[in-house]
Amino acid sequence: MSFSAYKLFIAPLVAATLAGCAGNGDGLDANGKPIGSSGGGTAPLTADFQSIQVNVFTPICSPCHSGASAPEGLMLDAGHSYNLLVGIPSAEVPTLSRVKAGDPNNSYMVLKIQGSAGIVGGRMPLNGTPLPQATIDVIRTWITNGAPQGTATASATNAMAKIQSLGNSAPAAPFAVTDTAPLDNTTVIAPVARIVVAFNHEVDASLINYTTLTLERVASARTDSPVPMGEVGMPPTPFVVPTSAALAAGNPSVIVLTPAAPLVTGTYRVSVRGTGGGALADVNVQTLGSDYSFTFNVDVSQ
Amino acid sequence: MTPRFPRLLLQCLVAVLCLAALRAHAEPYLAIQQGLKCGQCHVNPTGGGLRTAFGDVFAQTVLPAQHLDTGSDVWTGDVTKFLRVGGDLRFDALATQVPHSKTLDQFQMEQTRVYAEANVIPERLIVYVDEQVAPGGALNREAYGVYWAASHNWYVKAGQMYLPFGFRLEDQSAFIQTATGINMTTPDQGAEFGWEHGHWDAQFAVSNGTAGANTNDSRKQYSGQLIWVDSLWRVGAAANYNDKKAGSKSAGALFAGIRTGPVEWLAQGELVEDKSAPNGGLRTAAGLVEADWTVVKGSNLKVTAEYFDPDRSISNNGQTRWSVIYEYSPIQFVQLRGGVRYYDGIPQIDSQHTRIYFVQLHGFF
Repeated sequence: MSFSAYKLFIAPLVAATLAGCAGNGDGLDANGKPIGSSGGGTAPLTADFQSIQVNVFTPICSPCHSGASAPEGLMLDAGHSYNLLVGIPSAEVPTLSRVKAGDPNNSYMVLKIQGSAGIVGGRMPLNGTPLPQATIDVIRTWITNGAPQGTATASATNAMAKIQSLGNSAPAAPFAVTDTAPLDNTTVIAPVARIVVAFNHEVDASLINYTTLTLERVASARTDSPVPMGEVGMPPTPFVVPTSAALAAGNPSVIVLTPAAPLVTGTYRVSVRGTGGGALADVNVQTLGSDYSFTFNVDVSQ
Repeated sequence: MTPRFPRLLLQCLVAVLCLAALRAHAEPYLAIQQGLKCGQCHVNPTGGGLRTAFGDVFAQTVLPAQHLDTGSDVWTGDVTKFLRVGGDLRFDALATQVPHSKTLDQFQMEQTRVYAEANVIPERLIVYVDEQVAPGGALNREAYGVYWAASHNWYVKAGQMYLPFGFRLEDQSAFIQTATGINMTTPDQGAEFGWEHGHWDAQFAVSNGTAGANTNDSRKQYSGQLIWVDSLWRVGAAANYNDKKAGSKSAGALFAGIRTGPVEWLAQGELVEDKSAPNGGLRTAAGLVEADWTVVKGSNLKVTAEYFDPDRSISNNGQTRWSVIYEYSPIQFVQLRGGVRYYDGIPQIDSQHTRIYFVQLHGFF
């Protein structure tokens, strides 16, 4: 290469370097934000769920991922996110959990925010500015640490409480359903492949069966059409939908119901039997005390 | 758009390319080197994916250091008169270093893709599919139909497609690809109108704005670009507006390329404003300068310098990224790439000082 060609090659790169030096970080905190401003006044991001919720899920994700029509049924507001993340199969790649405790490389949420190969659809935040690598690293650390719901201190406290409860000291709060997805009395506009029922205590897995958890299709969601969408070939309502049920992996307070086929247009009811012999109970043999049910509509015609 | 060449014409094309073409490789710099539009070598008028018969012949005769003699048989992707196929494989061995972390050495299947093009009405109506088959399960990247005018001055495309917005680089992790979120990992469903006239090249697309995911509203994304293509240089402008319920996102870019002797230069700068971001929105900026030097036939040295400002309202937070990559194509359809990517950013964040060393096997046809 001639000297003139060499100069042609080098000169603009030198110029580009001078024009584009990395920042020195003066006045910034560990997240690259002005000191004292991270999370709009909230505490700096740390590798625990509450911090991630406050600094990432709530401000960045929940504007889209909330309500009955949350994309892929994933609500990431503070009231739902943990129950719908940890141990729950992803809607886009069901062989992967959204969050697999202890394994960030096989957690679909991580792949989505990293924009990794193999994801379906776009990188998250969708069409938005990718999360800073430092933020992704914190989320990965939380998952590596087992994806606990509380801080490390809180988890230790909970563990002690569980140990104490095993000593015939029942938990203070009665066993109860705390969350469902889809939500009660809502309409979902896409086929539903999974239903999530969350509880406030760890559930006795041996009591999860077709007698304690039932999914029924109780009616068509549309009555303005002689042959509503999804009705062709469907049996008359109501009928029990073949469904499998299991605890979410690494999240024993959540039960995942998986219909044999994604639910199409119709009205569905999930019933949890909390009374009688063999009723659903927590690991301390505390039952719900009463039956529980919730209903939702699926309307794929919208 | 992708004529099925008669054998004699094909042989003439091979001869012309061997005799007349400059040393060349792949990616946008190739178009700059040759003074051609992207659609000359790719079925997709905006570049990427299956090559045209011209692109296939070009890749066999001009790209490699040595052309293994196959007689008069030249791969053009034709399976039948109406069906063409192609593929692309990238397999990496890479080491990733992050300060205060253990170096990660790994093999990685970056991608394996297969392409198919059905010339339903030759030269006029085409159905095209780009399917990623590895890693993981099958994943559709592009699937669309294109109708070309008889004059080939304009076309209409509908389906799932990559959006037109500036240079379509091979490196999907480049700052200019990630800042906008418009790249070859985020195809969207919609329709595109393209116009090609003389030196002008333009596209305008309307899509769901969900990167291929389901949508539950009527808001749309609009993306377009206008490019002037000359034999030695080109300049273009691109714009994107995504009307989202949570807040719109808009982006604008200027890009240009020029050939100076054995070196091709690419530059792109862009500004992005995302009103859906917390605390009143977020404005970012990204830029890239790339130089490609054809050292000898079959060898290319690629150097890129990139800059990213993740929040224009904050000072001292800029990030840079340097890449030095050597690309060697020993024979047709095979390329070996090796290089380093060197990140630099604020000292508080280790990951902004990542070093990636890699060797890549790239096979394509």
